[in-house]
Amino acid sequence: MHKIKLLHMYPNMLDLYGDSGNVEIIKYRCGKRGIELEVSSHVIGDDTSDFSQYDIVYLGGGADLEQQILADDLLKCKDAIKSAYESGTFFLMICGGYQLMGQYYKDSNGEKIPGLALFDYYTVASTDKRNRCIGNIVIEAQLDGEKYKVIGFENHGGQTRNVTSPFGKVLAGNGNCFSSETEGYIEKNVVATYLHGPLLSKNPKLCDHIINYVMTRKTGSPYKAEPINDKLEEECREVLFARLLK
Amino acid sequence: MGLKNGLTIFFGKIMVKCLKLIGKDAGNAPGLVLWTLNKNCLKAFKVDCPIIAVTGTNGKTSVTNYLNHIFTSGDHKDLKIITNKQGNNLDTGITSLLLGECDFRGRVKADYLVLEIDESHVPVIFSKLKLETLVVLNFFRDQLDRNGEVETLILKVKKFLETYEGNLVLNGDDPNVARLGLANPNNKNVHYFSVQRYAGATDEPYEVGEGKYCPFCNEKLEYEYYQYSHIGRFRCPKCGFGSAKPEVVVEDVDLQEPSFVIDGEKYKPSHNSIYYIYNLGAVYTASKLYNIKKDVLHDTFEHFEVNNGRLEVFEVGSSKLLVNLAKNPVGANMTLRVMNEHAGEKELLFVLNDNLADGHDVSWIWDINFSIFKDVSRVVTSGSRAYDIAIRIKCSGYDPDRIVVKPDLDDAMKSFFSTVGDKFAIANYTAIQPTRAAIKRYKEGTENA
Repeated sequence: MHKIKLLHMYPNMLDLYGDSGNVEIIKYRCGKRGIELEVSSHVIGDDTSDFSQYDIVYLGGGADLEQQILADDLLKCKDAIKSAYESGTFFLMICGGYQLMGQYYKDSNGEKIPGLALFDYYTVASTDKRNRCIGNIVIEAQLDGEKYKVIGFENHGGQTRNVTSPFGKVLAGNGNCFSSETEGYIEKNVVATYLHGPLLSKNPKLCDHIINYVMTRKTGSPYKAEPINDKLEEECREVLFARLLK
Repeated sequence: MGLKNGLTIFFGKIMVKCLKLIGKDAGNAPGLVLWTLNKNCLKAFKVDCPIIAVTGTNGKTSVTNYLNHIFTSGDHKDLKIITNKQGNNLDTGITSLLLGECDFRGRVKADYLVLEIDESHVPVIFSKLKLETLVVLNFFRDQLDRNGEVETLILKVKKFLETYEGNLVLNGDDPNVARLGLANPNNKNVHYFSVQRYAGATDEPYEVGEGKYCPFCNEKLEYEYYQYSHIGRFRCPKCGFGSAKPEVVVEDVDLQEPSFVIDGEKYKPSHNSIYYIYNLGAVYTASKLYNIKKDVLHDTFEHFEVNNGRLEVFEVGSSKLLVNLAKNPVGANMTLRVMNEHAGEKELLFVLNDNLADGHDVSWIWDINFSIFKDVSRVVTSGSRAYDIAIRIKCSGYDPDRIVVKPDLDDAMKSFFSTVGDKFAIANYTAIQPTRAAIKRYKEGTENA
């Protein structure tokens, strides 16, 4: 039986919008393919020195206060995280996690939190706390060369700019900035996005895309996850597309 | 009263009368119109009686209904209470309520106003009406897209309390609430209540919660035990926050009987959930301020039912159904606990909507702990987000073939009652009344057939 290792960073702080559900979904979909998902966590003060031993590193979203509190700890891990990213560990990051991997995040109080600068983008939040991108969102992403609609819910004050390779094209909703054409950030081993829902709950193919990448990298031969019973997910998507893409 | 305020009331009363003439229930509309015309319209009402308000994420409606019942029980059956039993707890709802009750000069005649108030509306309403007692139950994450982060909400209430000197009844076991007792160091009227460790309490948190860090010094809070979510015996090891002595302690909680003891007196409530015991703790503490007699409390705790989708029991054919509102993970987890503690096989109906009043974001359902499901033989889901909740339950490991999705409520009832047995239903905010109506429709349809 294959085993995949996932590191959930700050699960006790970055868990604002049911984002921990993504870990539950990866575990569920791995389990259906006979793959065991071993979940470890990194919280403030933990001495995690080797991030590249993990196949997936996951960060959820949090409130401004929490992002401020954990910023110092995250910076201490900068080199280790960078080397894991460069060695091919998959990075899945939602909302706050997405922002913190960029150059910096300037929050709604004007406070500048330095990011890990893994990527070129940066985020500035509106100083008017009520000025947020909130609502259902549908984007069109390219996964393994195929178009796939990704559906979720965005709720962010931060406006992310200088995104070199966006995750998808916005079909309904705001995206990286107000009324933006693009959403999130993607690389072969990165998906960073504002989409909650949680993200993977209504986008089973996206979850399988991650599993395929990880298993291919791990086993050294192309891996394609077997189809499983996704009837509920497929029907859910149909209902929501009919409602949101009018 | 200034000319503008006087005219506001006069205009409002005419509006309500006209609506009544054409046979319309005024509802929220008059309040909304008045707020649009005059932001100070609440100041135009002359209220001379004490105002008691209940706020917090969960339990407002129940506690308000209990207090209303208690104030008009025993020797006080003739007292006039004005209350918003059905919710309508925003500024516009309160304005509509008072407009309906006042005379043309804005005078409100009553013995008490007992109001449930949305957390975010406490400051705006009570900067204009004089509040005598505020009961704060708890703060949980709830409709983040509508309310914002919990912290923002707490700070809003705290700011109001910094200059408030009236009675403050606080849940001493919720760090988010207990901290409000320190908002105004000059307020001598702060009354904490607490519930002693009960059999279902845990050493580690069981459900997602708020308030992991001390609001005064950011240190991680230490818990002796968790009753549910982040409610429990907590203390800050650095600054000592959490050591205030509660005035009312609910002791010897036994959910099997069910019973508990306060001030040496044993009470036998009609329901058996820990969050409900906390509600009664709040009711007791507020009642104490108004010298309510013990026999009234006994009678109320044993017999009074809020119904209205709060632990409401329906008998449909040979099936027994318990319906409970859940607007957030904590509420849903509480019902699941009640369901699990119920012996034998049972079925669950979950109705999930994503209307404005629910919050459009339904990702909170992923904070519900479904992995604890015990002897649940089938799940029916309904509402505008019936599929979302079905997927959530499936990914917790529940067999998808035993989940039936019926977005339409009448279809859901047909499926739900196609079997006979013990049943539980959870519905969120805008789903609860339609769910109750659909149950009644189904019941009438089958009993008359």
